[in-house]
Amino acid sequence: METRRLVLTLTGIGVALIVVLGGLSIALLATGGGDEGGQTTSDSNNDGGVETPQLPDRVEGELRLFGGDPITLDPACASDADSAVYIVEIFSGLVSFDRELNVIPDVAESIDVSPDGLVYTFHLRKNVVFHDGSRRVVADDFKFSMERALNPDTQSTVGEVYLDDIAGVDEFITGAAEEVSGVKVINDDTLEITIKEPIVYFLDKLTYPTAYVVDRREVGDATCFEGADWTLNPNGTGPFKLKEFVLGQRIELEPNTDFYLDPKPSLQQVTYLLAGGSALVMYENDEIDVTGVGVNDVERIRDPNEPLNAEYQTGANMSTDYIGFNTQEPPFDDPRVRKAFAMATDKQLVAETVLMDILLPAKGILPPGIAGYDETYEGVPYDPEAARALLDEAGGPELFDDVTLLTSGQGAAPSEALAAVTALWEEDLGVSIPIEQEEFGIFLRDIDQGNFKMFSLGWIADYPDPQNFLDIKLHSESSNNETQYSNPEVDALLERARAEKDEAERIRLYQEAERLIVEDSPWVPLFHGQDSVLIKPYVKNYTNAPFVIPRLRYVSIER
Amino acid sequence: MQGLASYVLRRLLLVPLILFIVSVVTFALGRYAPSDYVEIQAGPSARPETIERIREERGLNDPIHEQYVTYISNFLRGDFGTSVRYRGVDVEDVIFPRLWITLQYNIAVLLLTFVIGIPVGTWAALRRGTWMDPLSIGTFVLFASVPVLVSVPLLQWLFAVQLGWLPTGGWESREILGVEIGLLSAEAILPVMALTLLGVAGLARYMRAQVLDVLDQDYVRTARAKGLNEYPIVTRHVVRNALLPIATLMGFELAALITGSIILETLLGIPGIGLYAYESIGSRDYDSIMAIVLIGAVVFQLAMLVVDVAYVFIDPRIRLSAEASA
Repeated sequence: METRRLVLTLTGIGVALIVVLGGLSIALLATGGGDEGGQTTSDSNNDGGVETPQLPDRVEGELRLFGGDPITLDPACASDADSAVYIVEIFSGLVSFDRELNVIPDVAESIDVSPDGLVYTFHLRKNVVFHDGSRRVVADDFKFSMERALNPDTQSTVGEVYLDDIAGVDEFITGAAEEVSGVKVINDDTLEITIKEPIVYFLDKLTYPTAYVVDRREVGDATCFEGADWTLNPNGTGPFKLKEFVLGQRIELEPNTDFYLDPKPSLQQVTYLLAGGSALVMYENDEIDVTGVGVNDVERIRDPNEPLNAEYQTGANMSTDYIGFNTQEPPFDDPRVRKAFAMATDKQLVAETVLMDILLPAKGILPPGIAGYDETYEGVPYDPEAARALLDEAGGPELFDDVTLLTSGQGAAPSEALAAVTALWEEDLGVSIPIEQEEFGIFLRDIDQGNFKMFSLGWIADYPDPQNFLDIKLHSESSNNETQYSNPEVDALLERARAEKDEAERIRLYQEAERLIVEDSPWVPLFHGQDSVLIKPYVKNYTNAPFVIPRLRYVSIER
Repeated sequence: MQGLASYVLRRLLLVPLILFIVSVVTFALGRYAPSDYVEIQAGPSARPETIERIREERGLNDPIHEQYVTYISNFLRGDFGTSVRYRGVDVEDVIFPRLWITLQYNIAVLLLTFVIGIPVGTWAALRRGTWMDPLSIGTFVLFASVPVLVSVPLLQWLFAVQLGWLPTGGWESREILGVEIGLLSAEAILPVMALTLLGVAGLARYMRAQVLDVLDQDYVRTARAKGLNEYPIVTRHVVRNALLPIATLMGFELAALITGSIILETLLGIPGIGLYAYESIGSRDYDSIMAIVLIGAVVFQLAMLVVDVAYVFIDPRIRLSAEASA
């Protein structure tokens, strides 16, 4: 009796499984199966127009995007790209980047620089008004906004990072001075900023939201961590106004018809969806107009027979993924050991086979698009035999018994690319290095405190200058130099480059420094970033920029 | 009914004690976890001295008991603190709209689960001994053992990617009579479907066992012996009695659904309280985590209380004993 029940129950489970799996395969068959099938269905659905779920009706001239849910819309506080994307459209600053990534005057109409490169005089436009139309922007608004970002009471983590080249900042932060002496209001139309050293990338740094202007009547004494209600309805000066921000759900922008630069925004509305499932499916269902393409879909999109192929674009995004070593502790304090790892890393192979070429293999540190990037530079070539010989000379594979490769992540398997890299090391060097995943907060702390042997991380440009990579990440005194790499020769080159006015010579200095660094191998550069996106044909002039720039005012919808 | 009132009162008195324990444990776990929100949000480019300064100013370096007292006294005055995930926005402004989203689809799931699960379970019990019985149990076991983590991607793939009938995720609200309702849009179908499948399978299995139990009772035999028709026997005697333990289940079910929403909302990108809890923990959003846990604990306590009280009304025997003591 019991056996009979058991058999019957198992049969029941079996039948149910068959029904479910059968149903799935019938569904698959009915849609033609595979990737092409997915395409045909969504096409036919779009034609039918009945079954496809639609969002609330589109407005004429509306651009729909998938957006990151921003942490803050306060320009003084934003330190992440997800937030900056919205801030650069809603607010504006003295200078900004155009689509060719040149620094252009923005609220400033023109800029004079003194012969010694220390004093910048900004002549402001007279027709820049806040979104509510109540008042024009004057020089004192900039002084207020910059001092607000720097004021310790504001608790900004980025104020000093982007504005500390200005004279008098240190005295202001420590409380020794009431104001930043380097920012002087000459009159309503003229602002004079004096910097500590004649650095040539100062204007690049001013394009960052930290230096943007805010309405002092609105921000009051709001800090980066308290009283942010004003950011839900900000009175900015940028090309777009914030129409609605439903936390976690959507952000709607509307054009600022009084914008002072040409071209003025032509879109009637921009809607960012902050929540949702697969962006690619939403794109195929016409719910969004632009989407990124991941490694799992890229093969299908690259197929010339695929209808989406015509909408596919790629562009460099000025970032470098790398493996960093702790250069102050054994075993990686020995340059031979680091170099052996660099020689045993076949990035070309990993990029082609694991990443389907969605990233570019990195030979040097500077990514394409940054001045100083040299296509012909070979870096440390892949050479497994020499790598093995060098490692044996330095002490052999026994050195790495408790070395792990630290990476940030949780739950799921670590990146396949990293797994491939460590597999190559095992094959070529005979060292087995486990990948250790840490939750992001713990990872950051361990990196900051030098509590690691090797780690994997990426760096994306804040502004397109080699200084943003080499000086920030690898000068021995930079707080961002996690590997604690220190080479006096490199430091000297980087310091000379900071103030070098001859552009060609400046780039040459950076290239020389880059080569010294790559030979010393505190980093094994792995890949340079690349954005792979799909853009609907009716979306015109959407720039696939390598970092955050104001770009929506150029875009138009032409159906 | 005096007995009932004093019972409710005694239960309510326990709530603050439980909340106190929950708040201390959550607070301590949060503060003793490595790293903090200033460090995480500052990211790798900020200076260590800036981070340390902000930490000091925000009181994160104070002794933990002082921090706790500050937090709780604010909380008791109705100030839930400020969010870090949405920097500087008041926690209550973030949490309540999200709680509403999570509640909407969970209530729908709960109703559907009971409306479908009870008849199906009863039906399966009445077919005991036929070939349909093991088949239905097999189906229940299968669906009850597929976790949301597996069923959601499958349903997404089938209904959104292959068939294109439903959106892959997200949430769309429309304002109806001044209330933001999202339950009526296509986005709500996938989460409701995934949770209902799981819930119905579990409930039907449980209901079937209860009904079988009741069918063996003397009063059912008596009813049959009296020559009553099968239909009134089932509806009046069997189902009613089998439902009693199910009422308890309902409270647990609601609590489980809300905690289960963490996974579901993360998979489907639904901006509810579950996704927010997940994000808050990742960004060490202390005030948000505390508020979510404390609100969750209150909801759970109240649900349990309602169930216990409801029991008195459903089960005449319990009411009798309550009146007897009065």
